[in-house]
Amino acid sequence: MVELLHRLVRSPQGAIGLSLVVLVLLLALFGPALAPHNPEALGVLRRYKPPSVDHWLGTDQLGRDILSRLLVGARATVLLALLATLLGTLAGAVLGTASAFLGGKADEAIMRTVDAVMALPSLLMSLLIVSAMGRGAENAVLAIAITFTPGMARITRSVALAVRRQDYVNAAVARGEGALYIVIREMLPNVVAPIVVEMSIRVAFAVMLFATLSFLGLGAQPPSSEWGLMVSEARRFMHLSPWMILWPSIAIALVAVGFNLLGDGLRDALNPRT
Amino acid sequence: MKPVLEVAGYTLDYTTPLGSMRALHDVSLSVARGEMLGLVGESGSGKTSLAWAIMRYLAANAVERAGTLRLAGEDLRALTPKQLTALRGARIGMVFQDPSTSLNPTLTLGRQITESLELHRGLSPAAARAEAEAMFARVGLRDPAAMLRRYPHEASGGEKQRVVIATAFACRPDCIIFDEPTTALDVVTSRQILDLFATLQAETGVASLYISHDLAIVSGLAHRVAVIHRGRIVEQGVTAEVFGAPRNEYTRTLLAAVPRPEERLVNTMPGDATPLVAAKHMTVHYGRPAFLSGLFGRKPRGVLGAENVSLTVRPGEVLGIVGESGSGKSTMARALTGLAPFEGRLTVAGRVIAGAAQMGRDYRRDVQIVFQHPDSSLNPRHRIREILSRPLKLYGDPEGLGIETAIAKMLEAVRLPADFANRYPHQLSGGEKQRVAIARAFAPRPRLVICDEVTSSLDVSVQASVVRLLVELQRETGAAYLFISHDINLVRQIAHRIAVMHRGKLVETISIEDLAAHGPSHPYTAQLMAAVPRLQTGGNEHEFR
Repeated sequence: MVELLHRLVRSPQGAIGLSLVVLVLLLALFGPALAPHNPEALGVLRRYKPPSVDHWLGTDQLGRDILSRLLVGARATVLLALLATLLGTLAGAVLGTASAFLGGKADEAIMRTVDAVMALPSLLMSLLIVSAMGRGAENAVLAIAITFTPGMARITRSVALAVRRQDYVNAAVARGEGALYIVIREMLPNVVAPIVVEMSIRVAFAVMLFATLSFLGLGAQPPSSEWGLMVSEARRFMHLSPWMILWPSIAIALVAVGFNLLGDGLRDALNPRT
Repeated sequence: MKPVLEVAGYTLDYTTPLGSMRALHDVSLSVARGEMLGLVGESGSGKTSLAWAIMRYLAANAVERAGTLRLAGEDLRALTPKQLTALRGARIGMVFQDPSTSLNPTLTLGRQITESLELHRGLSPAAARAEAEAMFARVGLRDPAAMLRRYPHEASGGEKQRVVIATAFACRPDCIIFDEPTTALDVVTSRQILDLFATLQAETGVASLYISHDLAIVSGLAHRVAVIHRGRIVEQGVTAEVFGAPRNEYTRTLLAAVPRPEERLVNTMPGDATPLVAAKHMTVHYGRPAFLSGLFGRKPRGVLGAENVSLTVRPGEVLGIVGESGSGKSTMARALTGLAPFEGRLTVAGRVIAGAAQMGRDYRRDVQIVFQHPDSSLNPRHRIREILSRPLKLYGDPEGLGIETAIAKMLEAVRLPADFANRYPHQLSGGEKQRVAIARAFAPRPRLVICDEVTSSLDVSVQASVVRLLVELQRETGAAYLFISHDINLVRQIAHRIAVMHRGKLVETISIEDLAAHGPSHPYTAQLMAAVPRLQTGGNEHEFR
């Protein structure tokens, strides 16, 4: 683990990605404590203010401090995106590994179902799920998790198929191990590297998907300061104050870039041959 | 006579994250025109690094510390990339280990050789084609004109290697490097290829560097031999002298480890009781019908892995199964462990087992398997403790010692220290890993252990110690072995009976006494035995001439 970290920070994309992600996670954890103002305090006289000493990133249409809103909203945006990715990855990994292990008809049935689900664009799919289950942050998390599951299952299966042919799996079958033990203990640990890489890249997608859902009014609801929602609300006032839409967009982009770089770095670090 | 290839004081390091690693240390050797120098060493000895150094195609992290590499007096280290391109293929040829990866699958076999003829000898396409056809005929390819048009997947392994050899010889190079050129081939095919080398070499007078881990092959082929150990040449000289009267300790160890069929290692006698395992008319098909193919009324097509094989193993008996790759040896191992579905009748200690689904707990415990590659048969993410504890958890701890003590005892039984339990497989050497795999197989006190090419992926010296261990374990536990190997010399050392397989069929089963007394009764067995290279330790006769 220490060695992995060492290899990760040696590559530039790994180092930048890791520091961005750590920064974002710190903000998500301590954001509310660091916020200089109450994120929901209205001020009629402070509306549409550009960045100033008092309000570093300016204020929005209701006179709320944008920096404070961003800091508080980090938790909703990043942590929920992480949670959604984790859920989707876990489900996809188990499904893909099991599919590769079982093979034959079961594999065929699982993968064709996955294909059917993947035929729907991910945004459309999550829109469908959210509108079926009702709007709200929790349902958005579930929707994103379900949207991610088929893709993760496919990726995991392709790696697991190679693992399936390894003799340690044959040895486990030959000594009469149960399917559950083989999938969870013998196979999953060996497919984990590509999954971790894929996951870190997908976190960025999740942040954007989550923001998109909120932007469309199906994710987080006002007065929450989820970043996508902030962009959505600021859109109407873009000509009055471009700062309002700029800051949350930059924040989303930074998180996406950070996780993407981390994913690239991890891919290299987890592959000992590079 | 001036040497064609001359390596003097060559020292090579690889820089790794853990620091600098010496690959070659002060290596000096020379090959004269018309001479074949055998470079013998185990894996990791640096022999392939030397080949790439001569080809000037080193990894990015290689650092050359000292020494010179000369081809016909020309300093190879001083050449520019452009000069190197002109040199490779034209003046130095190389024949690789695996012809299926060294040929480009998207080009015809003819194109692969005409390309280098046009490039290096400046022939016109038509002339190159004629020359290629002549070369193909010379390396013994049947119907060379048709072969020119084929793609690599349409040719057998032996044919592909002949194409690679034809390409290497086509531009009349000064020097050819052979890097384990027969390792990926079958015994009978590799024998033919070795004969071809000898002929071509005598005809063309090319200087050859023959790299191999197989002492028997080198002893029959090379004029002079250099033994390399951990990047140093420990002994060098005329083949018959080095192998006949080795001066270096390491050379002696290597030579002692080569299996000699006359030397029996097993002295137990199998019980005469009813057979422990009896397989009758076992047939194994590979491949499953494609999805929906039933709908279209297509008949499922499978590949036949083994056909109508009947064999018996008595308690405590070592039954050797020999054959070329693809002969169905491993298929039998897979069928007997329930990894491949089979048709036919399998009786184990009186119980009839109709298919993999009927292999219950008792069967799984009684029949254990050790695979060829310990790298792949031990889960890289599990510690040795977890690997060894699984059979105990599944089948119980036979002596009631508790897991920790039992694992320590298992490790001791395969001559490994008890603290290996905390290690991961990648922290162990190949031989140590194979010992762990053997310990795992013996943990539930099996009555039959299937050894599927257990020594093939190991170095010669490690091979011998693993075989010794297996023999000792057999004596201690009285388990029967199904010992699968392509090395008939090795099987003759330890088996009570030998079953010979060819193209999925059982050719003959012969006891070792009968084999010694009357020789093989089936012509294929005789062919197989004749093809296996034997270590030549005396006289100047070259067996392959």
